[in-house]
Amino acid sequence: MDNEKIKLRLEHISQSYIVNDQIFDAAVDVSMEVRDSEFLVILGPGRCGKTILLNMIAGLEKPADGKIRLDGEDIQGSDERIGMVFQKRALMPWKTVMENVEFGLKIKRMAKAERRKIARKYIDLVGLQGFEKSYPDELSGGMKQRVSIARAYANNPEILLMDEPFGALDAQTRYAMEEEVQRIWQTEKRTVIFVTNNIEEAIYLADKIVLLTSCPAHVKAVYDVDLPRPRNTIDPKFLQIRKKISENTDLAL
Amino acid sequence: MSDSEYKVEVHHLTKNFGELKVLNDISFNVKKGEFVCIVGPTGCGKTTFLNLLTRIYMPTKGDLLIDGESADPKKHNLAFVFQEPSALPWKTVEQNLRFGLELKKLPKAEIDVRVENIIKLMGLEEFRNSYPHQLSVSTEQRIIIGRAFAMNPDLLLMDEPYGQMDIKLRFYLEDEVLRLWKNTGATVLFITHNIEEAVYLAERVLILSNKPTTIKEDLRIDLPRPRDVTSPEFIEKRQYVTDQIKWW
Amino acid sequence: MKKEKLFLSEYEHKELFRKRIYRFLPVLSILLLLCLWLLASSNPMSRFPSPAGVWERYLKILEKPIKDLGLLGHIWASLKRVFIALAFAWTLGISFGILIGWNKKANAIFGPIFTAFRAVPPLAWVPLVTMWFGIGEFPKVLIVFVGALMPVVVNTQAGISNVQREYLDIGTIFHANGRQMLFEIAIPSALDAIFAGIRNSTSAGWMVVLAAEMLGGKSGVGFLIVRGMDSGDYELCLLSMICIGVVGYLLAIVIQLLERIICPWTTKKSN
Repeated sequence: MDNEKIKLRLEHISQSYIVNDQIFDAAVDVSMEVRDSEFLVILGPGRCGKTILLNMIAGLEKPADGKIRLDGEDIQGSDERIGMVFQKRALMPWKTVMENVEFGLKIKRMAKAERRKIARKYIDLVGLQGFEKSYPDELSGGMKQRVSIARAYANNPEILLMDEPFGALDAQTRYAMEEEVQRIWQTEKRTVIFVTNNIEEAIYLADKIVLLTSCPAHVKAVYDVDLPRPRNTIDPKFLQIRKKISENTDLAL
Repeated sequence: MSDSEYKVEVHHLTKNFGELKVLNDISFNVKKGEFVCIVGPTGCGKTTFLNLLTRIYMPTKGDLLIDGESADPKKHNLAFVFQEPSALPWKTVEQNLRFGLELKKLPKAEIDVRVENIIKLMGLEEFRNSYPHQLSVSTEQRIIIGRAFAMNPDLLLMDEPYGQMDIKLRFYLEDEVLRLWKNTGATVLFITHNIEEAVYLAERVLILSNKPTTIKEDLRIDLPRPRDVTSPEFIEKRQYVTDQIKWW
Repeated sequence: MKKEKLFLSEYEHKELFRKRIYRFLPVLSILLLLCLWLLASSNPMSRFPSPAGVWERYLKILEKPIKDLGLLGHIWASLKRVFIALAFAWTLGISFGILIGWNKKANAIFGPIFTAFRAVPPLAWVPLVTMWFGIGEFPKVLIVFVGALMPVVVNTQAGISNVQREYLDIGTIFHANGRQMLFEIAIPSALDAIFAGIRNSTSAGWMVVLAAEMLGGKSGVGFLIVRGMDSGDYELCLLSMICIGVVGYLLAIVIQLLERIICPWTTKKSN
């Protein structure tokens, strides 16, 4: 575990915005390391900090300060090796499931037959065979997120970013999707950076948890989760870790 | 006039939409001041059940009785808290809290007493004169809950009020709702998907089945308060309810 | 499969009954309108045409065409002008709308001029257009074109410039270049706005063509109205008005079908 390659590194990242003529610090001096094929969860209250970090890694925003290094090199803007799954409005409603999943490949100008083949593989992986010709509005929330995951995977990223992908789902669908992600990740291992405000979800999925404070966000603690998979949310050891983290979390009233 | 010991009675509640049987012969009783949680799989007709209780539409068979009479929003004091906060944006926090009571035309002195009590219980003193849009979603929801309890309702219906809030916040809010409940002695029906929340809050848990929905089990939770979510007894109850549902 | 007997409570019976009445109400209001019509025309002092009179006039046209065209011929003459104008308005309007919606420089250059032109109602162009091009077919189609162009450009521009940020982010994540962003994301996302423009331009075009015909011409439904007015033939006027309403309604339905075909995702909803 100790000598594994560091895939992604955030070094002293800071971000601020100007809101109503005032400077608002979203993140201050955040540093973290992500190992290759690790499932890292960034946990934090509210909407602050975590999404912004993810946006910066994805290249949707530029940090005010600090560096992001992938495989030792600085990232410039949006990098091809990084894929992302969003929470809201993740799919394009005017495209079918197949067209959504193959989107990244079409942008790369891959030939139709080839990209259909790849897209089909990942549609099957997320368990949506038969739904290739459906439109997103015909699907349930959980199914939409599965398409989103398939689309990200189809592009063969080295790092997969997931921004509170299950935030808009009801509790039981969420549990089912957590199991799905776990299963998919074990089948096709990638480095995953997963953002959530749900402690249980974090402990269920993560190899390592980075706990952020509320805004201005900085790293409060880092937890290694060593439980065997698949994990049981009612297991006493699970609940112990949950208690430890929950006591350390800021209450975002 | 029934001399029933029960505050709320649900008799053989059935709802069909055309040929589709959604709710099938649901019956249960709730004593005054009881805290009952309702859990069930998605698609178990929970929304339909709620709509019947709030009288959006009427049942095919059976009825809901309050104090022995058919539930009537005009006569009975029914309060609801839904997933999305519904604070009136043009009123301050204090005005929002007073709102339900003013509608019922209670005397001003009485309203003052009740609203002050709620503000103190919930620690809302600093937000008294704020407007909803200045508050976070969770605070706004707390206002709604405070407003509902302030009305001393015959029946307080809460539908997943804490939705997607994180665990720390949930625990805080759950303790708060228990405080409000003990203080006002309201009769509460609390619907949730979160089994831990149900076992933490309830004196009784009603477990619903899949469609056509009936009551699978009426489980008594006798654990002493405040409850410890890491205690083996709690975990056992939680595991039991989870097994009963096994919805995923 | 054996059909189970439906059991409805007293409450539900009342609901069903109420819904049935609601469906009947539009029929009722049309009948009411007809009664008002009969009332208005039965007064001997007014010259308001009666339903019977209009019906007779319709039969008369079938036998004796006006200016060599039957009723359908005039309707088609009007429609032809509208269709040609719409074809140009949609092609040019959507392209121009995309240009100023997507490209900030183009918007800065052309935007304000266009807004100024937009304020001028199509019929205000009649004197200049008549002076340049006379009173033939081309000037009429041109005026309809102007009237139909505005809504298309305005709506298309709004649709393109208001693409949801989240969809553009998806494009960024997947490294789409500018052209791909426009054709894969912006335009499909703006289709519902573009269709709003198409709907508005169709109804606008239909109205403007009638007005243009009323100002001078030899065919078309607008021409029929003027004809009727000049010769005191009010039955003809009212008949034409009814035709105009019916055709307008049919055009709206056709556009709706068109939208469903081109944008199949708008009709699909999850259960």
